[in-house]
Amino acid sequence: MATTAPRLGMHGIGKSFGRVPVLTDVDLTVDPGEVVALLGSNGAGKSTLMKILTGLYNRDGGTIQVDGEAVDFKDPAAAVASGVKLLPQEISVMPDMTVAENIFLGDMPLKRKFGIKQVDKDAMRIRSRELLDQLGFANILPDMLVKRLSVAEQRIVEIARALAGKARILVMDEPTAALTEQEAKMIFKIIRRLKENKVSVIYISHYLSEVFEISDRIVVLRDGRNAGTFITADTKRAEVLAAMLGNTVDDLYDVGTPGVAGAEILNVEKLTIPRKLEDVAFSLHQNEILGIFGLVGSGVEVLGRALYGALGPLKTAEVRLGGQSYRPMSARNGKLAGIGFVAAERKKEGIIADLTVRENIALPFEERFERGLFMSQAEEAQHAIRWIGELGIRTRGPEQKIRTLSGGNQQKVCIARWLVEGVKLLILEEPTRGVDVGARREIYGKLRELANRGYAVLILSSDVEEVAGISDRSLVLDRGRIVGHFERGAKPAELMAATGNDPAFQAP
Amino acid sequence: MAQSIETHTPSGAREQMLSLFGKPWSGVAMLGIFYLILIAVFSVLSPYFLTLRNMLNIGGNVAYIGLMAAAGTPLIIAGGLDLSVAAIAGLTGVVISMLYGMGFPIWIGVLLAIVVAAAIGVVNGLFTTRLRLNPLIVTLGMMSIISGIALVLTGGLTRPLMVPGFNWVGSGRVIGIPIPFIIMMVTFVGLWIVMTKMRFGRYIYAAGGNAEASRLIGIPLEKTVITLYVISAISGAIAGTILGAMLGAAGPTAAGSQLLTVIAAIILGGTSLNGGRGSVWGTLLAVLILGTLNNGLTLLNVSSFWQDVTRGVVLMLAVSLDQIRTRALGE
Repeated sequence: MATTAPRLGMHGIGKSFGRVPVLTDVDLTVDPGEVVALLGSNGAGKSTLMKILTGLYNRDGGTIQVDGEAVDFKDPAAAVASGVKLLPQEISVMPDMTVAENIFLGDMPLKRKFGIKQVDKDAMRIRSRELLDQLGFANILPDMLVKRLSVAEQRIVEIARALAGKARILVMDEPTAALTEQEAKMIFKIIRRLKENKVSVIYISHYLSEVFEISDRIVVLRDGRNAGTFITADTKRAEVLAAMLGNTVDDLYDVGTPGVAGAEILNVEKLTIPRKLEDVAFSLHQNEILGIFGLVGSGVEVLGRALYGALGPLKTAEVRLGGQSYRPMSARNGKLAGIGFVAAERKKEGIIADLTVRENIALPFEERFERGLFMSQAEEAQHAIRWIGELGIRTRGPEQKIRTLSGGNQQKVCIARWLVEGVKLLILEEPTRGVDVGARREIYGKLRELANRGYAVLILSSDVEEVAGISDRSLVLDRGRIVGHFERGAKPAELMAATGNDPAFQAP
Repeated sequence: MAQSIETHTPSGAREQMLSLFGKPWSGVAMLGIFYLILIAVFSVLSPYFLTLRNMLNIGGNVAYIGLMAAAGTPLIIAGGLDLSVAAIAGLTGVVISMLYGMGFPIWIGVLLAIVVAAAIGVVNGLFTTRLRLNPLIVTLGMMSIISGIALVLTGGLTRPLMVPGFNWVGSGRVIGIPIPFIIMMVTFVGLWIVMTKMRFGRYIYAAGGNAEASRLIGIPLEKTVITLYVISAISGAIAGTILGAMLGAAGPTAAGSQLLTVIAAIILGGTSLNGGRGSVWGTLLAVLILGTLNNGLTLLNVSSFWQDVTRGVVLMLAVSLDQIRTRALGE
């Protein structure tokens, strides 16, 4: 290492969006054939750093060197040309093309026949075969249609594509997200092969156990800064967690005193959805905020909407709502039973962009603003104005189109919708996703206020700090099961540690 | 006024233009201006154009098209599309004339045709909502089925439909105003009230604006959309009745060629094909513009083939302008 330049050297990288700094003076080096895990909680700056590396974003400051040479990628194509390749979390293959065509997508070998340039299919097949053999997958045939492959095999095709493009630095973003354990092992096998071939890998994952299994070195980011670099073999999991999450208590969550839990509002038992949730049970009371934390794929994405009814009738679940037996059937049914639901994807599932703030707020319970046959726009407006005031929604007025509001204010509208007589339970998925820090604090404050007014609040989130910070009690979901119960004041690291309970992945 | 414009920098003036351009009502206002210009131009070119008689004629002639366009507007706003509506109009005339020929009272035929149309609307609605099929394909198929049945029933022939009381619906007038025009205007006003003043209207815009969000809010999406398909289909039946009464004959393909005019009018009127946006007044203006264009060109002795070309040009121009307007509004 002393004499040769590292494969990648990023130094003093800075980036801000508007006036908000996202990265400050960040360093990252990777040696040839080294696997470096890049860790950090949501919003720590991992993906921004990788987008700068792969030419998707311009940096504001700092230098990037590949094999000792200064580079400046203006677009992703320039990065790919220098051998820097990103494998995004979502697999991007062409399902109706063959394996070979996918591997050489964008750079197919050509030959000239009858004076016309055309794709050299034989060359493509032969080179695909070589690449797949090199990765150790003789069972994947170049002529197979990619849609016939398993998700894991599609991943492998993607990796082969990166190698065909002579990738020297491979950025893998949660490569095992949609895979089973066995399949994940397969990916690790490939990464080891890549190491042998001196390909450098930057590995992004939320799963600490994976990181400890595959990486040589761990680089941790927190709040857009370097928060520690560890040699994996000499490091304990707790040290990494401490670096990731910090030990300071954030005043983000210091937003009012919790009340005393009242009557039981929700009781869930034996909730099972095949392949997604397994025998989930918990209860939730009036005046209480219950947070459920889980990583992507843990079931945290489905639990809330399943209870609300948005996934259709639940066959295996015993649910009591406000003391009465309740069977999740449909969203409409859940609403009428007194559940308010705020979905994770605000743009796709929350706001109706072309409608006004007033209409967005009044929409779920329009019948309450009806006078005879007609809507009372005045009453809708009055109701909207009340909640614009109480939730501190920054808008020019109830007639402003919701799409012109900031993410945080849109989210408040999505909450305001449900604040009517008769709703007792609020279920919120990722309540502050895509919301800036200032608005996050406000939303936490309003949730606390609502709980103190008597609502039962259920939060489902993949943001461990959020769950630990705001909840009166918290649960941890992992692979569809509840694996941890915590009282108020639990540290984010404790919650995070609870997810890594799989013995097969037991880290040092 | 003039002074205030002068004091603006060029970019300020441009911004002002853009913001004016970006007002929600600017689309309908632009159509209105275009309509007035069109009337002015034809008035200059033809002495017969700007007479009360001719204007009322235009109103009467476009009525059955306007009726279908009116009902199609909320459907497209809600994210649907009905290509079968004109075929339903054709089938309606056939059903009425056949039943009348069999000795039933004429209004029984009308009633039955409306019931049949409503059933077709339910089928369209069920296929697109329950089976989540693309409305373009479902209603295209339905169009083919219905016009096929109409041809089978008549053997492709046009049947006479001369019943004095009935023909009055097509050609009669009340204080000088053609009855078809009155029916159309009542429909427009009625739909406007439903769409802006009633709960159902809120659901229409919500369903087309964001179907998934609407479902998660617990809005009765399917019911809303199916109802709109039924309304559209019934508008086809009434349009077919009016057309049959006007012509004194029922042809299986009588209205088929007007399908494109119906869709063109809705789009020209500023309704987004992606759903969520639009108004019936835009559609009404567009119907009048297309009707005026036809009428004016006919008065000027322009061949009807050129009228198709003109209609296409106007449509593409209007849609381009609307696209520019939407961009000015900002994503």
